[in-house]
Amino acid sequence: MRTGAARGQTGHFHEAGFYGSDIEFRALIVPFAEEGIAAGEPVIIGYDNRKNALVHSWLTDPSAVTFLADKSLYATPSRAIATYRRLFEFHAAKGARQIRITGELPHLGNGGSFDGWDRYEAAVNTVWDDFPVWGLCLYDTASAPAAVLDFAERTHPRIVSPSGVHRANERFQDAAVFEGLTFAPDPLEQTMPMIELVDRSAAEARRALAQIGRGRVADTILEDLLLGVTEAVTNALLHGRAPVTARFWATPDRIVITVHDQGGGPADPLAGLVPTPSSKAHQGLGLWLIHQLDIDVALKHADDGFTVRLRAGPTIG
Amino acid sequence: MPGVSNTLDLARSQAAGMLDQMCQRGPGSWVRLAAMRMIGPVESPRGFGLQDHLCWVHGDLRDYRPRLTEFFSEGLERGLQVAYLGAGNIEELREHLDRFIDVGPLLTREALRIISFDEIYRTGEPVVPAEVIKKYAAATQEALTDGYRGLRISADVTDLVRAPEQQDAFARLEFLLERYSSRNPLSALCEYRLELGDAVTQFACMHAAVPAGLTPFQVFACDDGAVGLLGEFDAAGQAAFKRALQSIQPAPDESELIFDMSAVRFMDHRALLALDSYAQKCQVPVLLRSMPPVVRRVARMLGLEHLGIVRTGGL
Repeated sequence: MRTGAARGQTGHFHEAGFYGSDIEFRALIVPFAEEGIAAGEPVIIGYDNRKNALVHSWLTDPSAVTFLADKSLYATPSRAIATYRRLFEFHAAKGARQIRITGELPHLGNGGSFDGWDRYEAAVNTVWDDFPVWGLCLYDTASAPAAVLDFAERTHPRIVSPSGVHRANERFQDAAVFEGLTFAPDPLEQTMPMIELVDRSAAEARRALAQIGRGRVADTILEDLLLGVTEAVTNALLHGRAPVTARFWATPDRIVITVHDQGGGPADPLAGLVPTPSSKAHQGLGLWLIHQLDIDVALKHADDGFTVRLRAGPTIG
Repeated sequence: MPGVSNTLDLARSQAAGMLDQMCQRGPGSWVRLAAMRMIGPVESPRGFGLQDHLCWVHGDLRDYRPRLTEFFSEGLERGLQVAYLGAGNIEELREHLDRFIDVGPLLTREALRIISFDEIYRTGEPVVPAEVIKKYAAATQEALTDGYRGLRISADVTDLVRAPEQQDAFARLEFLLERYSSRNPLSALCEYRLELGDAVTQFACMHAAVPAGLTPFQVFACDDGAVGLLGEFDAAGQAAFKRALQSIQPAPDESELIFDMSAVRFMDHRALLALDSYAQKCQVPVLLRSMPPVVRRVARMLGLEHLGIVRTGGL
């Protein structure tokens, strides 16, 4: 039996909360955690060090909850999905009737980038629905950009207020129809690429990358880019519409690659965020794999076609 | 002909010296392997040793002739018996070969054999790979008994693989030849005609040495029984790789099959999943050895169910 606002619900109970101060943050998170502790439900809390410490000091028995302070957890959206999924499987196997999880996504206001996390918030409505998860996503209205807050409102079917009122969200958009945020082009994309390949094989794209990439980023990152560009070019050649154009830019410590074709890109708005559970031969697997890597992967649908952008090195903007 | 025999002796002693040197390197098989066999894409058909298995393609027979001449001449210099194989009877083949290379003096010394396909293959039908290998093994033994350092063979085998139903069996034979030559003094130059089209890749990838650009990947035999993979494995070569896997059987005396990945430059998840499903069907455990980091990373993300990993890293 699930406790609290999610009582009687099945699957992922995905709720957003908005706070403007530490007091409101406390009002949102403490009842959520204490109620879970009292019911013997696993409670997982993942904020930055300052907020984790605050929550730790507010709880009657902080040892009863799990704090996740690992920044790499939120390194990429699909990796966060995979990591949490394993965590849920673990708790579900131990017989948990509800798993409470709360955290905050990176955005410009807290020193991160929200690129790609819009799709994550939409995806977790579906991909965690196999588990009795209560996910509470808190957004700081003082620091989060307006577009992020607006987006948060459209991806959470439930909203809780600092006063403790839980309600259904009338602005919620189903994943199938939601429109993602447009992300800004990388400044390098406005410049002349070092290499441009048109309708060339994935092997040639790897050679081009090896040629310009060595010494600019760590070898392991370069290998991730090799995997990424292989998959992007392969997908474009197999499923996109010619011409397929791969462009490579590099500065002393950054590499940016775009692979563009004139097709519409994958129809599934969540493509790449979740592995395909039934058949590993499914064509979406490659896209999922490159979303697991230590590089920034962005998908862009536009009037002139579909683009996969891969970036490594310090993020800009 | 004292001159010729001196050359032969010199070649023999050089080869023996090389062999001693290699053995001194001990059981570090990769080093020894790399020294003894030519593995990977090659630019010319020159410089091959006692155990090399080489594939080449030609559009016109005139392109094959200089290669054959070179391959055989070097073989004779190294103290090998050389054998030319082809369709038809011996006399026709001799005449044919006469126009290729100057065989007269060599034949009188019996260093050059001419063998009809009929002796080795059941022409017109799919070959029986294990039977063919037995015949090559017997011919290699004969050459050794007669005082040669080994046997070197060459043929244009296009006519043996024209029909699609012949091709799978012949690819299995190429793999067995590859394995046999990795352990015995049999060297071979297998020629295919370009008119076979894409089918050539299926055979080319089963040779330790191929001309650069013919196939993106190769399957070769390591001398410790492992199956080596070399080159780049991605979507473009996926169909060919799946076909190649069908030609690979564990050796009858082996309790496991190891794929050595140290020469893999790139491998995507498709090829890894093909290996995984190969492992599922194989009658002995299948293990991967010496995975490059980029491949290991993908393997970890995939969570392969049927493949084992050799962790000792003996190489």
